[in-house]
Amino acid sequence: MKKQILIVGGGTAGTMTANNLANKLMPEINRGEVEITMISDSKIHVYRPGAMYVAFHKAAGHEFIRDQRSLLMLEVDFIVDKAVEINAKSNYVKGKSGTKYNYDYLVLATGCEVAADRIPGLQEGGDWFYSYEGAKKLAKKFAALKKGRVLVTVNFPKTPNIPHQCGIAPVETTMMLHDYLTEKGIRDDIEIIYTYPTKSQAVENGLFLQAPTSDVLPMIFDSINVKHKTSFTLAKVDPKTKTAYSEEGEKMEFDILMSTPPFIAAEVIRKSGLSKALDDEGWLPTDKKTLKVKGLDNVYTLGDTVDLSVSKAGGTIHNQVDVLVDNIAAEMRFGYPTESYDGKVIAIAQMGLQCGMPLWYDYEEDVKPTPCSKLGSFVRLGFNKSLYWAAARGML
Amino acid sequence: MSEVIQTKKSAEMQEIEDKMTMLVQTGRIDNLIDLLAVVSDQIEMTTTPIVEKMVHSIDNIATAGFVTENAVRYAKRESAKNEIPSLFGMLKLLKDEDTRKGLAFMLNLTKGIGKQM
Ligand SMILES: Cc1cc2nc3c(=O)[nH]c(=O)nc-3n(C[C@H](O)[C@H](O)[C@H](O)COP(=O)(O)OP(=O)(O)OC[C@H]3O[C@@H](n4cnc5c(N)ncnc54)[C@H](O)[C@@H]3O)c2cc1C
Repeated sequence: MKKQILIVGGGTAGTMTANNLANKLMPEINRGEVEITMISDSKIHVYRPGAMYVAFHKAAGHEFIRDQRSLLMLEVDFIVDKAVEINAKSNYVKGKSGTKYNYDYLVLATGCEVAADRIPGLQEGGDWFYSYEGAKKLAKKFAALKKGRVLVTVNFPKTPNIPHQCGIAPVETTMMLHDYLTEKGIRDDIEIIYTYPTKSQAVENGLFLQAPTSDVLPMIFDSINVKHKTSFTLAKVDPKTKTAYSEEGEKMEFDILMSTPPFIAAEVIRKSGLSKALDDEGWLPTDKKTLKVKGLDNVYTLGDTVDLSVSKAGGTIHNQVDVLVDNIAAEMRFGYPTESYDGKVIAIAQMGLQCGMPLWYDYEEDVKPTPCSKLGSFVRLGFNKSLYWAAARGML
Repeated sequence: MSEVIQTKKSAEMQEIEDKMTMLVQTGRIDNLIDLLAVVSDQIEMTTTPIVEKMVHSIDNIATAGFVTENAVRYAKRESAKNEIPSLFGMLKLLKDEDTRKGLAFMLNLTKGIGKQM
């Protein structure tokens, strides 16, 4: 009997997993012992960080979207279908089409989604770059902006110790905004205020979710005249008066509210009964070492859907994939997983339009802020426009 | 004076000094400075559009490599699995939509090459 590996979700995590698995298990595939199937609810693949560049008129958007099939090795059977039910007892996932996909091993990689409606008024009064539609809207507003105030707010999940999508993105976009307005020659007419909530994972009353970066940010922001405010946990927004209210009892007016909205796991995960996260957020309980869903021996997960404290970022997934793939291959070959994830995250942050900052950390050690450089920015550009696709294809 | 400096020097500083001394004594430091200057100039003179065009070309090559590698692996597996097709078998293969898609692509590719000759 052929062993079936089913991957749900065709984003960064699903695609990298599928191709790396196909590479690793090629001997078994050639012998007809293994079949890899991916279902995704979309036939396109989106490079999500590209939206930041769209917001600041540095890209149109189409550059970051590709046909999902074109990114998959031929050994991966790709089906466009939306998973609507996960039955971990009987080992199948049901699609919206009615098809039941049986599996021996399941990989859940459905990412997370924006849930702006969890903060009253945010949907109507706020803007974000976490989707292409949002980024395009924001780009239009920035193009029309002549003077006033841009307020940056950040939201964290209610479940403790879990980050929002891409931890560094609010800092990146604040610095990109500063450069963008400077390029346009209107920086002096616009006030930028960066705010951070009281509770952000391990840090309280800081400006970032890890202490070393939180400590140096005031100096960096001061040097570019970005005002900053700790302990501003967004509670509600009045879109009519363009006012943001915090849980701490403050209010702040804005012309544009550039926010990191609340995020939740995909609907199918939230409804699966597998999560114990607060407020129906749906994060999957994940073994931090093996990357198995806790309590399920043949179900793995990675990427934005996990409940780990590491950043929900591509630079995390790139490292998780190698562990997960080795573990599935080892289980098939020896009967037990052999690799262990150490929480490693490697990325290059876009600190302004011309500066890239390499960053790395793991479960044990926080990010150590390093100087950004022009060369770093070029590497980041190379990743955005080319290396990402090679990485997704399992070539890197 | 020099004694004070000596005592304040960390082990790392001492190691750097030893290594640099060797480079200075053997004259190789000049080459390294030249190299650093070249690298630095390259970075200085490179612009975002140049990098964009370069990475576009790299992406094209990687994509072509990925498509070709996939196709070759597939063809090898299918050829190993099946007998050499008869004339009738060839026609059956031609009836397959993917074969026709690939063939049409190859013919258009040939046409594209022809247009440049
Ligand atoms: C603006 C922005 C900037 C970022 N910057 C960086 C950065 O600088 N560096 C970095 O490393 N990361 C960055 N990230 C984060 C990175 O893009 C994400 O962490 C990554 O895309 C998550 O991958 P994923 O596969 O878990 O989820 P996704 O890429 O979101 O993929 C999820 C997939 O699952 C599919 N799906 C969902 N539900 C179902 C269902 N029911 N059935 C079938 N399919 C389903 C979706 O269609 C999608 O294809 C950024 C993200 C954003 C938005």
